[in-house]
Amino acid sequence: MSNTAAAGHTLAHGDNYINHTPGIKSWLGTLDHKRIGMMYLYTILCFFLLGGIFALMIRWQLFSPDSHFVDHDKYNRLFTYHGAIMVFMVIIPLIPAAIGNFVLPMMLGAKDVAFPRWNLASYYVYLTGALFAASTLFLKGVDTGWTFYTPLSIRTQSSATWVLIGAFIMGFSSILTGLNFIVTIHKLRAPGLTWDRLPLFVWALYATSIIQVLATPVLAITLFLLILERTIGIGIFDPKLGGDPVLFQHFFWFYSHPAVYIMVLPGMGVISEIIPVFSRKPMFGYKAIAGATFGIALVSFVVWGHHLFVSGQSEFANFVFSLITMFVAVPTGVKVFSWLGTMYKGSIRFNVPMLYVFSFLFVFTIGGLTGVFLATVSVDVHLTDTYFVIAHFHYVMVGGTIFAFLGGLNYWFPKFSGKMYNETAGKIACLLVSLGFNVTFFPQFILGTLGMPRRYANYLPQFTTLNMVSTVGSWMIAAGLLLTAFYLWRALKNGKPAGDNPWGALTLEWQTPSPPPMENFLYDPVVTDGPYEYRGEKIKLGMYA
Amino acid sequence: MSNQNQHGQSGNEANHSHHILPDSTAFKILGILLLLTVITVASAQVDLGSFNFALAMIIASLKASIVCMFFMGLKYDHKENTVIFSTSIIFMTIFMILTFGDLLTRGNVYVKLGEGELGSLTRPYKILPEGATAKKARFQKPWIATPEIIAAGKEQFLNQCISCHGPQGLGNGPASGGLNPKPRNFTSADNWKNGRKPSQIFGTLTKGLGGMPSFGSLGAEDRWTLVHYVRSLGPEGEKDSDEDLKKIGIDPNSTDGGAGNAEKVIPIDLAIEILSSPEKASAQPSKK
Amino acid sequence: MSSSVSTQPGEHHHAHHFSSAIAEFEACKQGMWIFLVTEVLFFSGMFLAYAVLRVFYPDMVHEAHHMLDWRLGALNTVVLLTSSLTMALAVSSAQRGNKERTVKMLAITLLCAFMFLIVKYIEYKAKWEHGTLPGHLFINEHLKLEKTPLFFSVYFVMTGIHGLHVIIGIGIIFHIMRRAARGDFSKDYFTPVEITGLYWHFVDLVWIYLFPLLYLIS
Repeated sequence: MSNTAAAGHTLAHGDNYINHTPGIKSWLGTLDHKRIGMMYLYTILCFFLLGGIFALMIRWQLFSPDSHFVDHDKYNRLFTYHGAIMVFMVIIPLIPAAIGNFVLPMMLGAKDVAFPRWNLASYYVYLTGALFAASTLFLKGVDTGWTFYTPLSIRTQSSATWVLIGAFIMGFSSILTGLNFIVTIHKLRAPGLTWDRLPLFVWALYATSIIQVLATPVLAITLFLLILERTIGIGIFDPKLGGDPVLFQHFFWFYSHPAVYIMVLPGMGVISEIIPVFSRKPMFGYKAIAGATFGIALVSFVVWGHHLFVSGQSEFANFVFSLITMFVAVPTGVKVFSWLGTMYKGSIRFNVPMLYVFSFLFVFTIGGLTGVFLATVSVDVHLTDTYFVIAHFHYVMVGGTIFAFLGGLNYWFPKFSGKMYNETAGKIACLLVSLGFNVTFFPQFILGTLGMPRRYANYLPQFTTLNMVSTVGSWMIAAGLLLTAFYLWRALKNGKPAGDNPWGALTLEWQTPSPPPMENFLYDPVVTDGPYEYRGEKIKLGMYA
Repeated sequence: MSNQNQHGQSGNEANHSHHILPDSTAFKILGILLLLTVITVASAQVDLGSFNFALAMIIASLKASIVCMFFMGLKYDHKENTVIFSTSIIFMTIFMILTFGDLLTRGNVYVKLGEGELGSLTRPYKILPEGATAKKARFQKPWIATPEIIAAGKEQFLNQCISCHGPQGLGNGPASGGLNPKPRNFTSADNWKNGRKPSQIFGTLTKGLGGMPSFGSLGAEDRWTLVHYVRSLGPEGEKDSDEDLKKIGIDPNSTDGGAGNAEKVIPIDLAIEILSSPEKASAQPSKK
Repeated sequence: MSSSVSTQPGEHHHAHHFSSAIAEFEACKQGMWIFLVTEVLFFSGMFLAYAVLRVFYPDMVHEAHHMLDWRLGALNTVVLLTSSLTMALAVSSAQRGNKERTVKMLAITLLCAFMFLIVKYIEYKAKWEHGTLPGHLFINEHLKLEKTPLFFSVYFVMTGIHGLHVIIGIGIIFHIMRRAARGDFSKDYFTPVEITGLYWHFVDLVWIYLFPLLYLIS
């Protein structure tokens, strides 16, 4: 995809999206997708910090079996906030809204997303919803778990209503982003950028956006009905009034299971970008990966019942959902093997983004395989609501999304900022996070099979050692993330100029100055080749290649 | 694509991509829609059984497709938009079908109560005052061993305990292999961590001990029967004093089978019955 | 998309990141279609809740639905279908560049929308008087079958949200009408009229299903 009209030119540096117009006001009212992406990034990272602090508090409480760090009531609030913040405010928007917003139009050779105003609106809608939900921290809190299961969520005296309204509002932000991306991908591709030349990150965002558009409205109506349930008792989900609490779970998971793929697919997209660049090889199975992305998106809509195996769902439905769930493994396997195939006999460079890819592959594979355990009804009955489930979805969600995000952040940081960070610090941080993650969550698989239930503030003494290990691991993750924040901040302050294309990548976003100018390209790009045609390439590599 | 400007051919170019709905067609469409509305209303007056609903939905869908095709212009538009809109219908259908795949195959989870149709709860279920038992006591003083109690305990033991403790109570049940420490051998009187008095064993059963889970979900009376059966497997042990019994909240002189504070916890099966039928008078009717 | 963006002064020029006005129009229209997809799925939750009621409590639903006057429902159906026609005519007038007729048709559409709300108000008022209100607010003593409040919960949620869409539609149509009167639109630029039309037809579409589902249960 290298042949842009700009190839061979010395790109003009100087005027870019960061310094184009000065002042905080020009940022808050900007319509530029790059600035909106950065605003998303900073906001989401703030909430990531908040959710992370809650996680550390949970782990500290669980350091000893009868800890009195917080009481049971506060503990309920702790894990609810950790879950709700991490899911609704961090992982769902993290890659699409922050990185995607910045990178997607550039990958398409476009000047902006299709509807820049709605893009800015989606940011403020997100901010409003997030602040709404977070404000309950100063009220009575919320203690239902992030899943808001009825009838507890109807009866609880906590400030659940406000959190529900917050999540409801944030849903609109998600819908707007998805809608915007779909139209952008359909309508704003550069000349020559045919569907089979789209970078896989674009494919991933495309599938993600479709899920967002199809699933999020169901969450909206679910939360809306639940709010009405709490205020005037409409009774649809309330067994006391003749409704069906399991119906709520159907509603909720019709959104929230596909939402898992809103979290994971963009991560897989990032991985698909990084691997060919750092293996200097064309993507193995490009079409297979793009197809698998859509396969996963489609299957994600018909498996939600596996969250209801022990909720009183019928045995017939259990059987059907269990069976279909197994099929998720197929497209996922296709992807993993295609990635491995790409690396095979490649000339791999072990830069920080690539190290995160290795962590991702290791962790995500474990997460995926343990998912097969949980999809099997008979095993799931034993493991439901134990730490096995906790470990499983952290391996998938943190392994799938956060690792891919960190990889992507390190990969695109030179593009975002025009600066290069300290490789060594990056490698140490990656090691800390990856190791810490496994130290934290692997013991939880064992705890789960031994029967330690989730969502309790205390536990039996025989689980002490493994819990201590797990808590120590959480400190390692924290240290790694703080180190990442530190070295990136230092790079922003006084990092060396990165050059326009430090990794020697072929996708369009690298064929323009770093940081990019206001309308992304100095010349209108024309695409003549696929995104990963590294075979026999004669591309001039940047100084860090 | 050429530059867009405001004059000349650009107007034609804009027209190329737009089909303008002729007024006559629009009026005809309204006529058809109104006619279909009349048919909907008319058909609802005739009793066709369940076909009424199907017919109403078919007509509504027909009307909806006409609106989509002509008023909303999908007939003349890019196929892309038709695909986009159809997707929503497909996923709505998935949502409904799979949810009903559960709802319609669940069987009678909601038992109709009160009107004698399917009988009432197997037990009275009013919320009980503290310390009272749900069942009528079979044994007046279950903390004192009798042959009947031991026999009842054996039955409980075979149901609850043999997977770990083995049929003879030797601590060698099929599930004991993975356990460390090994389950208690009841035939020996050595090393009982909580002691071997009835009240002490009762406490162990209620709260659990190490790898042994709590059996608090069993009724107190059932736990007492187990206590005595387990004791009967080994050598004669120390008896409870009145103080021991009082310590666990039992009045040694009462004869109501009372189990003291232990019975603040109601058995799980009873709790489920209570939860699934909050009010006897207005409980869930069965579907259909 | 190879050419640079034209920026001649004119009546309407498209946003800089689109290659042409047509591209912008197509994108906006598609955006609206995708928005309608989200609307369908938003309503699907309510339709599902309704279906569950009908399966769980068929007798109750049948008895309770007699409290709704199907004649008023039918009247509203006719009103909305007519407004759909006038909206379609407004769009085709805008496409032809006929400013006066566009404004006139939008005005009739508005009129229909208000009429719909008036009929809805009459219906809601009757519910208020009978005490057949949703959830805890239900105080009617004549409907004896169990769980009757559930039906009215669903009725009010469905018609309420639909009514909210009508009210929002009124706001948008009013805004578009003023812009049309001001002369913002021409043969070459009528995007807002067209996508408002799509939205309004969708409101009609939902009612096409609500009417037989709520008013005509046999």
